[in-house]
This record gives sequence, C-alpha cells and structure tokens, in this order.
Amino acid sequence: MIGTKSRDTLAEAVADADALAPASSRPGVLRALLGHRTGVVGLVIVVVVALVALAAPLLAPDDPTRVDALRRLAPPSPDAPLGTDNLGRDILSRLIWGARLSLGTAGLAALLILTIGVGLGMIAGFYGGLLDDLLMRVVDVLLAFPALILALAIAGVLGPSIASVMIGIVTVAWADYARVMRGQVLAARERQYVEAARATGVRDARILARHLLPNVLPPILVLASLEMGGLILTISGLSFLGLGAQPPTPEWGAMLNDGRAFIGSAPQLMLFPGLAISIVVVGFNLLGDGLRDAFDPHLRD
Amino acid sequence: MLGYIARRLLYLVPVWIGISILAFALSLIAPGDPARQVLQQGGIDAPSPEQVTAMRRELGLDQPGPVRYVRWLSSAVRGDLGRSIRTGEPVLQSLADRFPRTAVLALIAVTLGLLIAIPLGIISALFRESSLDQLARIGALVGASVPSFWLAYLLILLFAVRLRLLPVAGAAEPRNVILPALTLAIGAAASLTRLTRSAMLEELVQDYVRTARAKGLRERAVIVGHALRNALTAIVTVTGIRLAALLGGAVIVETIFAWPGIGKYVVDSIFNRDYPTIQGFVLFTGTIVLLVNLTVDVSYVWLDPRVRLGARNR
Amino acid sequence: MLRKRRVLRAAVMGLVALIVATACSGTTGGPGATGTAKAELAAVQELTVATAADGYRNDDKRTTIGMYPLNANIFDTLVTLSPDYQVMPGLATKWEFRSPNTYRFTLRSGVKFHDGTPFTSKDVVWSIQRIAKQGGGTVGVSEQSAVAVDDLTVDITPKGQNLRALQQLVHPTWSIAKAGSDAAKPMGTGPFKFVEYVKDQRIVVEANDDYWGGKPTLRKITFRFIPDANTRVLALQAGEVQISDIPKESAKTITGDFTVSRSKVGAYEAIYVKIRPKEGYDLGQDKAVRQALAYAIDKKQVVESVWQGNAEVIQTMIPPAILGSEAGRITGTDRDVAKAKKILDDAGWKAASDGIREKNGRKLQLTMVVGFPNADTHKPMPEFAQAQLKEIGIDAKIVTTPDTASYEARLAKGDGDLWVEAGSQNDGNPCFLPDLLFSSPIPGGDEESNMYGNSFAPGESFDATIKRCREATSTADVQKAAADAMKLLVDEQFVVIPLAGTYRINGISKKVLDFVVHPAGVQQRWDSVKLAK
Repeated sequence: MIGTKSRDTLAEAVADADALAPASSRPGVLRALLGHRTGVVGLVIVVVVALVALAAPLLAPDDPTRVDALRRLAPPSPDAPLGTDNLGRDILSRLIWGARLSLGTAGLAALLILTIGVGLGMIAGFYGGLLDDLLMRVVDVLLAFPALILALAIAGVLGPSIASVMIGIVTVAWADYARVMRGQVLAARERQYVEAARATGVRDARILARHLLPNVLPPILVLASLEMGGLILTISGLSFLGLGAQPPTPEWGAMLNDGRAFIGSAPQLMLFPGLAISIVVVGFNLLGDGLRDAFDPHLRD
Repeated sequence: MLGYIARRLLYLVPVWIGISILAFALSLIAPGDPARQVLQQGGIDAPSPEQVTAMRRELGLDQPGPVRYVRWLSSAVRGDLGRSIRTGEPVLQSLADRFPRTAVLALIAVTLGLLIAIPLGIISALFRESSLDQLARIGALVGASVPSFWLAYLLILLFAVRLRLLPVAGAAEPRNVILPALTLAIGAAASLTRLTRSAMLEELVQDYVRTARAKGLRERAVIVGHALRNALTAIVTVTGIRLAALLGGAVIVETIFAWPGIGKYVVDSIFNRDYPTIQGFVLFTGTIVLLVNLTVDVSYVWLDPRVRLGARNR
Repeated sequence: MLRKRRVLRAAVMGLVALIVATACSGTTGGPGATGTAKAELAAVQELTVATAADGYRNDDKRTTIGMYPLNANIFDTLVTLSPDYQVMPGLATKWEFRSPNTYRFTLRSGVKFHDGTPFTSKDVVWSIQRIAKQGGGTVGVSEQSAVAVDDLTVDITPKGQNLRALQQLVHPTWSIAKAGSDAAKPMGTGPFKFVEYVKDQRIVVEANDDYWGGKPTLRKITFRFIPDANTRVLALQAGEVQISDIPKESAKTITGDFTVSRSKVGAYEAIYVKIRPKEGYDLGQDKAVRQALAYAIDKKQVVESVWQGNAEVIQTMIPPAILGSEAGRITGTDRDVAKAKKILDDAGWKAASDGIREKNGRKLQLTMVVGFPNADTHKPMPEFAQAQLKEIGIDAKIVTTPDTASYEARLAKGDGDLWVEAGSQNDGNPCFLPDLLFSSPIPGGDEESNMYGNSFAPGESFDATIKRCREATSTADVQKAAADAMKLLVDEQFVVIPLAGTYRINGISKKVLDFVVHPAGVQQRWDSVKLAK
C-alpha cells in the first residue's frame, strides 16, 4: 500500500479528472477553493501543521532528543502532555519536531519532483522529436517499476539516511509528472497564444516560461497537492523499515517503529505518531480534492 | 486486436531493455568493489592487489561495463540470474519460489478492494450528498490516509488477539492471507472508491445517459450497461497500477504478517547489498509490471474500441 | 453541513475508540497452571513455538537445518551443556584426555537413528569430516581428526593444540548426523524426528519414541519463523503459539494467560560494545577514545531503567557461572563523566562550539553498528548510549542492520567503529567468546572466527593468552587464562565494553509445563516440555 499510494493518487487524479480544466477558469480558483468546505478543512490542517513545523523550536516544550531513563513510558501528564517514550523523551516535542522532518522532507522531495518532472516534461512536449522519444522511453522504464522497491534499492545502495530516501523517491517519481506535463504542453501548444507568440518571433525559452508554464502549471500543482499525502506515507514507511531517519532524529515513521513493542502496555507510543501521519495525509488529500474541484467546476460538491 | 497486441509487444522491447540497463546499473553505482567484498567475506581482511586483480578477473569485473552488461543479460534471458551473495541460492529460483505467494496476496487484496470500492463508489455517486455518500467518502479518505504498518497492527489486535477470529501471521493455511490482504485492500479500496465515485458522477451527466434514460431503459441497465462500462477505463488503469505495485512486493505488510513473499526477501537483500539478487529482482518485477500494463492496455480496447486509435499510445 | 460534521465527528470518535479499545485491553486473566507434577496433561501434546527469522543455511558449503541457530533437538552432540554450563554426557558416556592433544570418547550403546539404523563411531567420523571440509569449525578439525578406534570408541585430535575441544563439542553445529545422510533431510538420534522444513515459514518435528533419553511427552513441535518481534508477541497473545522469545521491552505486555520465563541470574547473554581499531575507522586506535567510551555509559541505568530489570550489570562477557571465582579479578568500568572528559581533554580532544570534540580538525564522530543477532535485541539501548556519549562530546551515528546475516556482511567489510552485539556462551569453553571475537585471524582457519578476529584482534599478547587457555589442562587454569584474556580486553586495552547480561526471555502460555530456559539459546531443550489441560 505504501509507495503505491503516491503513484496512485496521481494516476487517479489523471484518470479521474482527465480534462483538468484549462487555465481559463483560474481567477475563480482561489475563491472556489475557499468556498469548498472540505477543501478549506484540508487547507487549515496543512497550514496549521506547516506553522507548527516552522515554529517547532518555540512550541516544543522539551528537547526532543533529551533522554531521561527515569521517566520512561510515562502516561500523559501536565509535564509531558502526550506522555514519554521508551527512553523518557517527550512525545509531544518529538511529534512537533517530527512535523518539521516529515513535512520538510516530503515538501522538498515534491519540489524536486516537480522541478525535474515539469522541466523535462515541458522540454519533451515542446520540442518533440528524438528528444521527446528518448525522454518518454526513460519515463516508461521508470513507470514499469514498483516505486517503493526502486526507492528502497537506491536508498539501500547509498546507505540508510533521510537524504538517500529522498533521492530514491525523486529518482522514480518525476516520471509521472513528466508524462502528465508533456501531455498538457502538447495540448496547449496547439492553442492560439503559443501560435501567436511564435509567429511574432518570441524565443522558445521565453514562450515556455512566459506563456506555456503559467497555463499548464496549475493542474500539475493540483496533482502535487494530491500526491503530498502519499509522499509522506512513503517516507514514513521507509523510516519504519529503518532506511530513513536514523536515531535519535524524531521522525513519525521511525517513532511508530520504536513504539511497536508497547502497543499493549503504553499505547501512546504508537497512537500519537500514527494519528499525526493520518491527520496530515487527510489534510493534503482534502486540500487536493478541493483544488481539483475548484479547477473542474462541474464535479464540485 | 491481434495487430494491436503485436504492436504493443513490439513497443515493450525497448522499454524492457531500458529496465535491464537500469537493473544492471544499480551494481555500477554501488559503493565498494565486489571482488574485494567477496574476498573479505572469505576471510581475507586486507586482500593484496594481486588477489583483488585475480578475483576481478574471475568475476569478469575486468571487462568494461557494456561487455559485462551483455554477458549478464544474455545469461539472464537464458534463465540464469546468478547466485545470491547472501544465501548462495540461484537468484531466479529464489524469486520464483516466493513470487507466487506475493501474487496471491496482491490478487486477493486488489479483488477485495474492487469488491468494496465499485458498489460503494456507485452508491455514493447515485445518492450524492446523502449520509451514505458522506460516510463512504469519509471512509475512503481515512482509508487512504492511514499508514499500512499502523493499520496492520490494529487489525491483528482486533481480529486475532481480541476476537480470535483470524490467525496473526504466517502462511500455513489459506486463512492466513485474510489479514494481510485486508490491510492492503483497505488502502486500495479507499482510492478506488473515490475514483469510482467521481468517474460515475462524470458519466451520469453525459448525454448518452440522458438519452438512455429518455429511451425508457431501466435505471439499472443504464448504470451498469453504460455509465459503469465507460467509467471502467479509469478504474482499470488505477487497478492495474496498484496491482503492479503490489506484485513488486508489499514489503512492510509481508514483514509484519511473516508472509514469505518476494518483498520481504528483497528488502533483506537490499540491507545486505546482495547485488545479484537486487538486479535479478528489478528485472523480474519490471518484466511482470510490463506484462500487467500490457494486459491493462488490451483491456482498454475491449472496454472502449475508440482507444484503438492510440489515445494512450500517444 | 451540520450533518456532515456530525458524521465526520462520529467517524473520528469511532476510530479513536477502536484504537484505544484494541490497544489498551490486555488479555483476560485465567487460572494459570504453573505447577508441574499435579497438573493434568492435555490430550493433544502439540506445541507451536515462534522464533525469529529463518537463519538456517542450506547451500553446498554449509547446511545447518535443525541445528543452528534454532536447535530443533533432531540431533544429539557427543557432549551437552547444562543450563549452569557444565559439560554433560550426550552421545558419549565417557571421555578421557590423551596427551598431547586427543580426546577419546566412549559412545553410548544401543542408540538408533530415526530410521532405525544403529549409531556407531563411523557416524561420528563422518560428521566431523563434514565440518573439516567446511574449514574445521571452532575446534579446528581436519579430515584426519576423527578416528574410529572401534564401533563405540572415537578419538578426536584437532589440527592444532586445543584442549578446549571437549567444551566446544557441545555446540549444536557439532551435531552427529547419520553417515552419508542428506543434510536437507536431517537424520539424527535426538528426541524429535524431522518432519518438514519450509524455508522462511516453519520447521516441524515429531516425537522420537525410541529416544535413548526417554520418550518425549510432546508429540509434535512446530517452530514458526516470524521475523517481526512485535508480531511474535501478538501471536502469543492470540494463542497461536505457546512459546515465543520476546524483546525485553515487551516483557511487561505479557500478562494474563501468559507468563514470562527467564534464564537464571548469573547465566546470561552478554550485551557489549566492541571498538574497531582498524584502518578506515581509525579513531578507535586512540586508546584515550576507547577508554573514555568505557567510562561514558551508565550500565546501571541500562539494566534498571532501559531494560526494566531484565538484565544485570556485567564487567565480563563470560558469565560468572562459567568463569568461576576468577570473574572478580576483572575490575571493569562504570559511568564516570568527569573521568571520561578528563581522559579526552588530556589526549587533546577539545570540545568545539557544537559540543562535539575535535583534534587536529577531525571531529570525534563514531559509527555505531547495531544488529547482532538483530536490532530488536538491543532496543532502545543504542539511543540511550548515544545520548550519554554526546554528554562527553562524542557524536555517535547509529546504523542498524536487521538481522545476523546483514550484520556479518557489514562486519566482513569492517564498516563501522562501535559494534553492538549480544554474545551467548554457546559452548562450555570459558574462552569461547574472547577467542571467537578477538583472536588474530588464522589463514585457512574457521571462517566465522576469522571474520570477527579480522576487525578486532588486539594482537600477540592476547593471542598468547588464548593459546594458554586452549592448552590448559585444569579447570582452574582455563578459568584463569580466560579471566586474563578478559582483563586484557576490558581493563587494559579497552577494546570491548561489557554492558549488561540479559536474561533470555520467553513469553509462554501458562499451559506449558517444565520449560526450562537455557541461558544459551542454541542449547534449548524441548524434550521435557509438556502441555497441561
């Protein structure tokens, strides 16, 4: 389930809304999103978690790596609002700092995926020809892999760390975006504003940056927001397998892994990180749905 | 139809070759010298340069990359993927031994997911905004947002430890497949329900549905015969992608449920940097995924003859 | 809108309730039968045991099915090891040492293999030769080492001088199989007969009613391989298995119909940290660093808090049960932050702004590899140690390997500074652990021993002590040599820090009777176990 997820939401979104509305309806998008009830819930969740991540040093009541063997496995109390873990570390503080890592890694990975995928997809779609063929074959090869396994293999080769997990994921995941982007560019290229720009002798790079990108990017951003949830699950899954964040770094997946042995005796160790992951993923999924509906009015609730 | 399949197959050849190159490249980017590694595992701490050179020759590592690739690929097509560094078993044999169990788990999980998702998605679309729809959508949302490793333990606690209805782990009896399959199915069902719902919504407002209704066709015939059939293209796509991913091994779920499939095996190989196994695995599952994709493509033609024009083919 | 919110809230509440209900509820308590003699026995005597990942090797080189690491009691060894580490008769009833380097064994008469063929000296010779072909094992045998004197007498003469052969032969890798038998279909003389082995899933054995040691009560044992330790605990709680080895951290979870069974105090599995002083990881060459490490970790807290009393503080990896009174000679180390800091200061390691020490522009960063026999065994001690090392200005990076095979693969490459292991005293030789782990590698010698020695051997003076240990003739001399070896490692060279002696912990159903946990897992006996009604 993990790892297939990211691939899935994307394909789902593509298959689903096939025709993500062209950019003509854009001015209304933000208003549409704000009028979209669940979309707003998603937006709020994401913004709140992002703020928590940013303000981690201010919000966290304790040092997330401070070991105190004398207060291990303490239940929630005023001293440690969500209890302590098997080394007496404050779970709330670890969750707050973990938000930084989980969200930051997923965000950075998404940014890299977008940049590479969008860039190569645009080049392939705009220039066509041999370059296009070559790029798309590479995309086909990457798409023929179970993403998690390839990410695992790459992370395994580079040694376990959060960076190698990210490299592994990015190596695989850009392919999807390149394919979708290429399709968008192919469709947009036929439209008049590109023809017009070309006719007036504007350079290719300028056409790409000034005319094409703003028109084809929004639907891709929708896909990205839909994929964020999957990305977070994939990263925490790799950490759960021991390939991602290394101790004592607080990361939600790794926290779940550490908490396993206490599922019967100190459930807070598994309950809270699990809830944290779920809530953030729900947030991104709702936001993505909202954005998609905002772009595609006839599916709107 | 046959011509279409032949064309698709032909198209798969370069992709397959690309996969084999990628699989092979994994060993090139790997840190460390395999010859040195083999020597060290044989008990020689600091092998002399002569020993390393001899071992490199023995392993064929003194040849340039492309030569090694061709050599590896030509034995791979003949069914020889080499031997695992870790266990000493032939790689193809150990993959073939474990793959059927992964396949069974994946097929059951996806089938279960579809059995939940399609009726739920249809009902949800038909009774849009009803409480049933709301519940289905919340269920789908939560199902798609819960980490599988968390879900796995919760299901074990509930169904095996508390209710004692199902076995916890292993693969000894057919019942063992239920919990891991359910864990995977919940994730699959969640996204497929969302997909079915929106695809159905899209179809239900189409002209042909209105026409069919106007013609006085029974509601069920309209939904099943027309709307669902058209919505299926999207469902098949996502099902195919999910199946392909699961066939590569549901690593975490297999580990938790002690399900002796391909995923657990390859993770152990990755931890051990057992390159012959990793390479073999990547080639093996890549081939399987290509075959699944081919099946999906062929089913498009069957579902919607318009596709033959090559919409997905670009 | 309102309705939707209510539905959402109900769904969330439901989910939380489910999680809390399933997570918090232990198993319901029941009348547990812990007595032995009086309890009425169950009609069906079939036991299911959960063990960790399948560790059997089955290739041309080495086959260990049924022997090691999981001893399914299919085979017997010539001599056995009692839970208090005494060498006891097995397939040999008597033995005598014949100078200069030979043990003569008198074999038990009337013993039959599972297929009915009588056991004789030629089976012993064949089994020893099989190990000789694989490199000679711990004893160091050649194909000429075992000689049949008559049908029931065998002489064993190791390649090199080795008087510890007797204590080493208790290890299950020295199991005696029927001459010419196929290792994939184990044929032994033990209390249980091989039924089937399914890789990564299970090994099943059934009672051998003709066992020379008496008919076992259990009719059948299924050993199931469950790699995830938490799943093993859940399988136990679900009643799917009756015995499971469990992580120390899970001991508290075992309540109600289940209980925890520990090996006894003084006989333990040692948890220790080895420091690799070899190129690539040369920081360990600095004796001051090694010494500071030894004074950094609070062993008492590891034992009492981190592992909740499921262990004892140790200063030697060799359990006192086997080292005798000599154990007291090893001073050892304990947490002394001021001393550790001073040692590093004096050696020129000065703390930088981030608190991590530096010398000549090099940061004091060490890689700590955790994974023998698996990472779960040590949890969460490495993180605790990491925090304590940080206090004296040492930055330790933790790398976990999931199982023995991957740990050893990394060890073979020498990729790391600090190596966290659990070492069991698996045979009766007091020098077993120091010899295995720290002897200089011998070309063509035992593969496993060489692999460990490669990374950590302190050199000549240690090797000389081990040689003395191998050649000593009296128990007192052996113990003295073993203590000298440990003293050199722990008090003089600081190449290993013994941290804690952990008791082997099994969660068992209260219906299981007469299960005696052997402090060395590979020596576990199953033939006394019974199931109550």
